[in-house]
Amino acid sequence: MEDPVKIIIVDDNTDYLFTMSTFLKRNGYETLTAEEGQKGIDLIEKERPDLILLDVMMESTYTGLDVCKKVRTNPDLKDIPIIGISGMADELGVQVEKWGDEDYFKVDEFFDKPVDKEKLLPRIKELLEEGLIKKGKAVRIGGKLYPKK
Amino acid sequence: MEPQEGLTGRPDNSGIIVDLGFRTILDLLPCYLSIQDRSLHIVFTNENFRKDFGEGIGNLCHMVYKGSSDICESCPVQKSFKDMKVHISEEDVELSSGKMAQLIVYSAPILDASGNVAAVIEMSTNITQVKEIQKELTFLGQSIAILSHDMKNILEGLQGGAYVVDEGIKDGDMELAGKGWDIVKRNIGEISTIAQNILYSSKKRDPKYQKVSPEEMVRDVVGLFEEKSSALGVKLKHRSNPALPVVNLDPTNIRRMLHNLVWNALEACKKDKEKHTHTVVVRSDFHDRFHFKFEVEDNGVGIDEDAQENIFKEFFSTKGSEGTGLGLLVVDKIVKAHGGWVEVLTAPGKGTTFRVILRIR
Repeated sequence: MEDPVKIIIVDDNTDYLFTMSTFLKRNGYETLTAEEGQKGIDLIEKERPDLILLDVMMESTYTGLDVCKKVRTNPDLKDIPIIGISGMADELGVQVEKWGDEDYFKVDEFFDKPVDKEKLLPRIKELLEEGLIKKGKAVRIGGKLYPKK
Repeated sequence: MEPQEGLTGRPDNSGIIVDLGFRTILDLLPCYLSIQDRSLHIVFTNENFRKDFGEGIGNLCHMVYKGSSDICESCPVQKSFKDMKVHISEEDVELSSGKMAQLIVYSAPILDASGNVAAVIEMSTNITQVKEIQKELTFLGQSIAILSHDMKNILEGLQGGAYVVDEGIKDGDMELAGKGWDIVKRNIGEISTIAQNILYSSKKRDPKYQKVSPEEMVRDVVGLFEEKSSALGVKLKHRSNPALPVVNLDPTNIRRMLHNLVWNALEACKKDKEKHTHTVVVRSDFHDRFHFKFEVEDNGVGIDEDAQENIFKEFFSTKGSEGTGLGLLVVDKIVKAHGGWVEVLTAPGKGTTFRVILRIR
């Protein structure tokens, strides 16, 4: 049997960690959570998740941006898809495309709080597939994903 | 027009005195008027100018307006000397009464017979009130931005909580449903705090003073937070100097102000994952002979340097996903309305003390 897909959620709001991980677990994912940047980095390094859900406006010693930078500058971790999440995206004019200037700040997708869960699930699926292709674990042929042995 | 002194008027057709003499008209103009030479020495002033800035003639413009030996950075008079055009600038000045005022200043060149700039005439209007309204509007805009951020977080909490309740009910897992319901209730609590803060930040009202004991205020507010602090595992204490007299305060506003500071302190403790025990202390004590203070001290995360600068100036929220930046904004507003001020002592990683200093009256 295949390993379940592992998602790490990093957010300083513990209620959010609980509701989001309940949601993802019930949709078949294994979840791990960290309520602080440094813990997030440690957990990511230890667990090598398939995807990271990251609060970018987190106020801890390590912010969401620091976590993103750590992941993107670590050759072993840099291809892990990251979904950035914030309640301030609109106010700050944060958009995914604007994050490209600095490589290590690059997230693959951005969701504003409250997260539209109907849109989140298909996007997670897409990013996971892309992640598999990047890792060389799968190929896409004619729009379909095939595992590579 | 012939230069004339004083009221030498004669009735016109409508019986109104029209010919006042140019000097009188200049004096009557509801603005400050002066003429300056190339070295920025004042050579002429109207009565309004003299009333608020003193005689002025023979003195340097920047000395008279600002008591400064330096020429103003955006001096419009110099510009008019240079390019013979009208220039506008906004300046902060000090009236001879000691009051500060904001002026909008217009300058225009006065040409001599050969077309050179002989002097510059300067006309300015006190726009302090307009500026205050502008500040209020900025404040409003900022409040709305903060509010929208808070609402989004609360919505996230409500939706997430409701989802967990649904899933719990679906599976007959009442423990799960209960957890979801707790989240829903917490977010309802947040809405009520925000709603109160909106009320306080939007209404412009003068404090309604009553004689109250600062100690009682402190005890009231600490009492309100007993449940929240014990849920967070934070020790919440209060210490008041019993010698403090009864003072004139707006108790509703001061309670709100303390409420926001204690709320922030508890949140700062909640965010701190380094220390094992957290304490919030609320104090009331003398500050000096004429002032007393409220202090809210926590050993939470502290505020980093960047945020310190912005904390009141820009009504900045440092709380990330759980921010109610409106809280400090309301604190600032209430304290200012009481004629007091706020001091912030903080060390990142160690904790923060907010000190509110008010006059004993």
